[in-house]
Amino acid sequence: MKLLNDIGRRLVTLFKVWRREFYLVFTDPGVLIFFFGLPLAYPVVYTLIYNPEIVENMPVVVVDNCRTPSSRELVRAIDATQALAVTGYAANLNEAREAWHTKKCYAIIEIPAGYDKNLNSLRQATITTYADMSLLLRYRAMLLALTDVQVDQTLSITQRRVSDLGLLAESVTDGQLPVESQSVIVGDETQGFASFVMPGIVVLILQQSMILGIAMLAGGRAERRRRNHGYDPMAVDASPVTTVIGRTLCYTLIYLPLAYYILHIIPEMFSLPHVTKFGEYMPFIFPLLIASAMLGQTVAVFITEREASLLVVVFTSLVFLFLSGLTWPRYAFNGFWLLISDCIPATWGVEGFIRMTSDGATPANVGYYYKMMWLLAGVYFITASIVAYYHRRLGRRSQA
Amino acid sequence: MMIVVPAVCSFFFLNLMHEGLPLKVPVAIVDNDQSSMSRNVTRQLNAMELIDINEHLESYHEAMEKMRSGEIFGFFHIPEDFQKDAIGERHPTLSFYCNMTIFVPGTLSFKGFKTVAVGTAGDIVETQLVQAGLSDNLVSPLVQPLGVDTHPLNNPWTNYNYYLSNSFLPGLLALLMLTVTVFSICTEIKHGTSPQWLQTAGGHVSIALLGKLLPQTVIFSAVGVGLQAVLYGFLHFPLNNHAMHIIVAMVLFVMACQALAVAIVELVPNLRLSLSICSLFGILCFSVAGFSFPVDQMYGSVGIFAYIFPIRYYFLIYIDQALNGIPIYYSRFYYAALLAFLLLPALGLRRLRRHLENPVYVP
Repeated sequence: MKLLNDIGRRLVTLFKVWRREFYLVFTDPGVLIFFFGLPLAYPVVYTLIYNPEIVENMPVVVVDNCRTPSSRELVRAIDATQALAVTGYAANLNEAREAWHTKKCYAIIEIPAGYDKNLNSLRQATITTYADMSLLLRYRAMLLALTDVQVDQTLSITQRRVSDLGLLAESVTDGQLPVESQSVIVGDETQGFASFVMPGIVVLILQQSMILGIAMLAGGRAERRRRNHGYDPMAVDASPVTTVIGRTLCYTLIYLPLAYYILHIIPEMFSLPHVTKFGEYMPFIFPLLIASAMLGQTVAVFITEREASLLVVVFTSLVFLFLSGLTWPRYAFNGFWLLISDCIPATWGVEGFIRMTSDGATPANVGYYYKMMWLLAGVYFITASIVAYYHRRLGRRSQA
Repeated sequence: MMIVVPAVCSFFFLNLMHEGLPLKVPVAIVDNDQSSMSRNVTRQLNAMELIDINEHLESYHEAMEKMRSGEIFGFFHIPEDFQKDAIGERHPTLSFYCNMTIFVPGTLSFKGFKTVAVGTAGDIVETQLVQAGLSDNLVSPLVQPLGVDTHPLNNPWTNYNYYLSNSFLPGLLALLMLTVTVFSICTEIKHGTSPQWLQTAGGHVSIALLGKLLPQTVIFSAVGVGLQAVLYGFLHFPLNNHAMHIIVAMVLFVMACQALAVAIVELVPNLRLSLSICSLFGILCFSVAGFSFPVDQMYGSVGIFAYIFPIRYYFLIYIDQALNGIPIYYSRFYYAALLAFLLLPALGLRRLRRHLENPVYVP
């Protein structure tokens, strides 16, 4: 009976903590902006920026020193690719360079004088390209487009030559290569940029906006304590563990619908890759929310002013983005950065969610990431409890 | 904070990506043939610096599972009876699977696999044609009649670190400058000491601002130029024009950021609000300024916002002056744009003065 009473009393305190936290969240416009405004607006803004997905019709200038039907055919083939658009001919390389300097083109293609002659005399013809390297995406688009053109041209030229050479060569090759190669792109086949970054970024937004809101709440608590000589009048008198669990319940409950919005509605709205099911991504993201809530309550110890929370989170956002391995893969990290990136819940969330939503990974495939997030949740639960204990003692000492 | 944060962030970026390219992509090979020819292919794959075969798997399914769980970024599949079919002219197919969900390793593994696959096919054709009696010098133009000679200008190694560090580090610096400037003006308002500050400057807002911000200009410029010294001097990132061009750009960039921050404060003279605006917009500038996705490819109505950030002009100057080393004449508008930012605060000086005289703190 005593045990039951005890449990009941704890549950009531837990409920009180939870209710008080809800009250604090919904009466603070600053926190509301970070808890709701940020996760609702940012994914839309980001996707709008990246939504054109791929580089199309990148301007290219051609220096055609050959000026024959076959060189013009090549130029037409280049112009016909999705990525490149031939915007003009230049008389020589100098003129082409001038166009590049004024950003009228991002690549120069030079066709040598002997192009046609080489093609028709069974020699190899070579064209030269100069690519602007200011953005990797442009270079990549150009390279892929030119490779396609090269393969197509090779096929038609070889076929012509084989028939020219007569039966001997034909009998060996059948007009095709004896060994073929086939490449299969797994994941997003269009290789769009939004489809690449957004699934990662949205998970990071979930974590960062939550930490931001929690840090701002903590800043508010710190300011109240300062005004009241170390005592926070809004705090519910509860054990550290109850405080942490109660608050975490509050934050997680707020974030569950937001997670659905970010992980389901946003990809559906912008037709980003989304091959995972509700029953799979929601349970997967749950430990991320818990771990982020615990991490936020741990970080609270450093926050003494409401404004400080903003700076901490803004600067860590970019670092966390890189630590998640989205731009620079994790296998190329050294041991030190690997360890730090292991400690961030979003690292595992980003990696796992991308696998699920783009590659169709099953929960079993991403089990490791899932377990790591629970592990982090456990570790940060302990640290958050220590922080809560410390803050409670501050309050008690001031009252005494 | 003004020195430590940029220093730590710079160290983080430069140390994390000091290799330039994340080579040695973990991949797997599925060799169902186990013949001398297939082992030869494996050896060729092993010799590539782009990829690192760390798994020899038995089946396609196993490899696919590993790829889905993120352990490998791609795999190369050699079918059963590959050697037999290749020699017997039954056209076997070498397939390779690349996971493009994460761009850079996906692309690198694709490049590595493709080179080996095409090379293998080419080798076999050549041998067969020569065996059939074609002369050697006829064979290679038959297999590869069209060559494309690509010159990636000024970054032939396609060093990835160049892209990221040259854009993201100044971006971080901009973020820091915006927030510090806003913070130092608005704390005066928050703590109600702004009338005193104004009085010290003899009642002139412009003098008050100059007195407060000039020392910061000096520090930030020193940090910025120090960053450039590390990038271009110590790490030998491409700097193909006179160093003064990019140093001047950095100093102008610092002042432009401060001016933008002052303009924001004039618009919203409230510590938390203007700080929020600065951070939220500052974070967006990393995307909208076109560091990775080109501005001209964005929707026009979105791309236009790239030009409200000083970092966009600094980035363009960096491309022209440091990376490509073209005559400064072509960058004249970017320098002018940075200068134009300095005029921005003049618009709201009177409004700022009113708020400095009657500081109201809204928590």
